[in-house]
Amino acid sequence: MQLRRRWVFMIITGAALASGCTSVGVRPWQRDVLSRQDMQLNGNSIDDAIDDHLYFSKEASSGGRSFAGGGCGCN
Amino acid sequence: MQLRADAARLRRRLIAASCALLTTSAARSEEAANPGVAGALTDWLLESALAYYHEDGRIQAIEPVVNVSKNYGDGGTLGLNLTFDSLSGSSPNGALPSRSPQTFASPSGKSLILSKHTYTTAPGDLPVDPHYHDQRFALGVDWTLPLTRLTRASFGGKLSYEDDFLSSSLSASIAHDFNEKNTTVLFGINDENDSLHPIGGAPVPLSDYELFEKTDHKSKNGTGLLLSVTQIMTRTWLAEFNVSLDRFSGYLNDPYKIISVIDASGNDVGYVYENRPDTRTRRSAYLENRVGWERASAALSLRYMTDTWGVHSDTVQLHLRWWNTERNKYLEPTVRWYRQTAADFYTPWIGDSVSPNEAYASADSRLGGFHALTYGVKYGIKLDDKLNREAAEINIRVEYYEQTVDHGLPGAGALQGLDLYPRLNAVLLQIGFDY
Repeated sequence: MQLRRRWVFMIITGAALASGCTSVGVRPWQRDVLSRQDMQLNGNSIDDAIDDHLYFSKEASSGGRSFAGGGCGCN
Repeated sequence: MQLRADAARLRRRLIAASCALLTTSAARSEEAANPGVAGALTDWLLESALAYYHEDGRIQAIEPVVNVSKNYGDGGTLGLNLTFDSLSGSSPNGALPSRSPQTFASPSGKSLILSKHTYTTAPGDLPVDPHYHDQRFALGVDWTLPLTRLTRASFGGKLSYEDDFLSSSLSASIAHDFNEKNTTVLFGINDENDSLHPIGGAPVPLSDYELFEKTDHKSKNGTGLLLSVTQIMTRTWLAEFNVSLDRFSGYLNDPYKIISVIDASGNDVGYVYENRPDTRTRRSAYLENRVGWERASAALSLRYMTDTWGVHSDTVQLHLRWWNTERNKYLEPTVRWYRQTAADFYTPWIGDSVSPNEAYASADSRLGGFHALTYGVKYGIKLDDKLNREAAEINIRVEYYEQTVDHGLPGAGALQGLDLYPRLNAVLLQIGFDY
């Protein structure tokens, strides 16, 4: 009985998540805002590179947005 | 008579229309034969910037960067990056301030007495090497090519050269679109090989600073893995979630950093070179959300990182961008908050009664516990109507960075009253041009 309840809970949760996933996203003709330069994930690549180099040389963390290597002898 | 006059008018109109058509065709033919600079570079994008970085009382740097990329229209791109850094000024050597003057030799020195380049730090001041100077050239190439309608592969290479450091890295990744291109999953791998040729040699870890025990060049190698999921949430909302893992091994010390040896009274009695573990594994999770409105957009990113040295860090960064009504100028304020815990082996000093043999120790403040704040603003002006290029833009960016030590170990005896953990303040000024 306990096992069946657990299965029912998992199925309901999975169905809820699946329905949530299918409700996200847009049609091809709805990408007007998303196609703007300021909505691109790497839209400020030079700013990001300069900032990453600055933080890499001053802090113990790097990466996250991309690989963590620095290619710099500064740290 | 009337019919003859109408026929003459009609003939004149037909001749005028034919001439107009011929003129237009000739103009189009000329345009096609000579499309001009803007037309010929339609698929190319140039991004460039000149950055000036200045730390209060420490180093300054000038960094020009150029990115050139070509879009092949089928999803393929080729990118080239060139970076040059020129750094100069004063760099902390790791030693603590003292009640008495402290004399050090520049890394190229062989002896504190015979060295040509010694420097003396005044009582109470943070010891910094005033002769710090370095230049870096970096070249990067990225190539993305479509494998199928939904799958892309990317390959990259990077080479970075300094007088005492050479780094080369290769990367490869594959990305696949799902769910009508609303979901993208990317998996990437990176391999980095670094060769270190410290000026004056690589010091023997934990050796006495005054003995100048140094060895030949060293190396370190790293491998990184990246898994990324990008999801279009709504018409105005995009999210990215990354997890990454990287492992470096080899010589991970900073060859120019030393540690003060302090006696029970708080007086410095000497210095030793630092000693870090020869492996380091980092894990990070990164979440970025971008939301767009009619004349504004926001990008919020969160990062958590942890490593086998005991460093845990949190980063929160927010970019906001506002466009004017004509959408040809924008203002982009930025704020970033960062916090890290100290590495397990971080120590501001070593006691003279403690035998440091076979222990790891570093007084490098970048491995200590601190928090940092960055405030910045960017102002951009689009030049698309003047230069006939959609990407054409000129921009200026200013950032202020402030780093403050958290829970610094209080100094005893003679160290009391000294500023052992001075705050780091820096300003970044950047001018950019895109075409």
